[in-house]
Amino acid sequence: MHISDGVLPVSVSLGGYAVSVALAAWSARRTTSVQLPKVAVVTSAFFVASLVHIPLGPTSAHLLLPGLAGALLGPVAFIAIGLGLLLQCLLFQFGGLTALGANALMMGLPAIACGWLFQALKGNTHLRHAVAGAAAGATGTAMAAVFLAGFLAAGGEDFFGVAKIAMAAHVPVIVIEGAISAFTIGFLFRVKPELLETGLVTPKKEIHG
Amino acid sequence: MMRTSAIIFVLLVLLAAAPGPTCAQSPGETDCKAVTELLEKQNRQLSAELRKVRREIAALGARMDEPGIREVFAGIGYILGLFGAAALVAARRKG
Repeated sequence: MHISDGVLPVSVSLGGYAVSVALAAWSARRTTSVQLPKVAVVTSAFFVASLVHIPLGPTSAHLLLPGLAGALLGPVAFIAIGLGLLLQCLLFQFGGLTALGANALMMGLPAIACGWLFQALKGNTHLRHAVAGAAAGATGTAMAAVFLAGFLAAGGEDFFGVAKIAMAAHVPVIVIEGAISAFTIGFLFRVKPELLETGLVTPKKEIHG
Repeated sequence: MMRTSAIIFVLLVLLAAAPGPTCAQSPGETDCKAVTELLEKQNRQLSAELRKVRREIAALGARMDEPGIREVFAGIGYILGLFGAAALVAARRKG
């Protein structure tokens, strides 16, 4: 799900750039130096996930992971997704440089929303974490499809037509991302629960005897 | 020395005397037909082969468009490098 060069009108591209630069700056200001390794790992995962293709009959879709990135990083996810998309654009020729701002908004806004959703839903148990992760993963992809339709509608397409097509094409991806996010977050809850905090709290230092 | 050169000479003479390719001394018309048939057969074979090569080239082009392992590692390297630089700046500012 990437918007290519030349699809969007210039005003929408420029507006997308302006809003996403502002959001990236806001996101970068919220990043603490303690979080940097985690952000780097999530960015790498997001960058590589787009190469995991899911065959769907004649066509195929790939993983997007905005929901998982949002759940793991919170507001900081925007900068991770922006950087991941920039490198995908430069190295994989996914999407276009002129549409990068719109693409970043399309993936980044669902990520931030899913971060909030995840923090609101997660309880203290393993099961609730997994369920919240599944909800975040599925919602992230679904919201990205809606944003895609919105951007293409700005380019003169029919909003509901595009939204229906994008949703239909991504139903399997939504299901798979929900499962992957649930598994990942459940695993992290068992192994390293402090990774699932928003990052506003610096992890306590453990003294190893 | 003399003997070996003599043997070689004899061999060469024998080779020259060997019967050449037997040409059918047929009338010109049948000869022409046979040549045309042969040419058409070769032409068919060649165009089939060419089609195969074209298909292979198209498949190769499609495969070259998708990113390979090199791009993946380049991207991960960029990400880790950029965040490493950010961590360096953050650490300098703090210290």
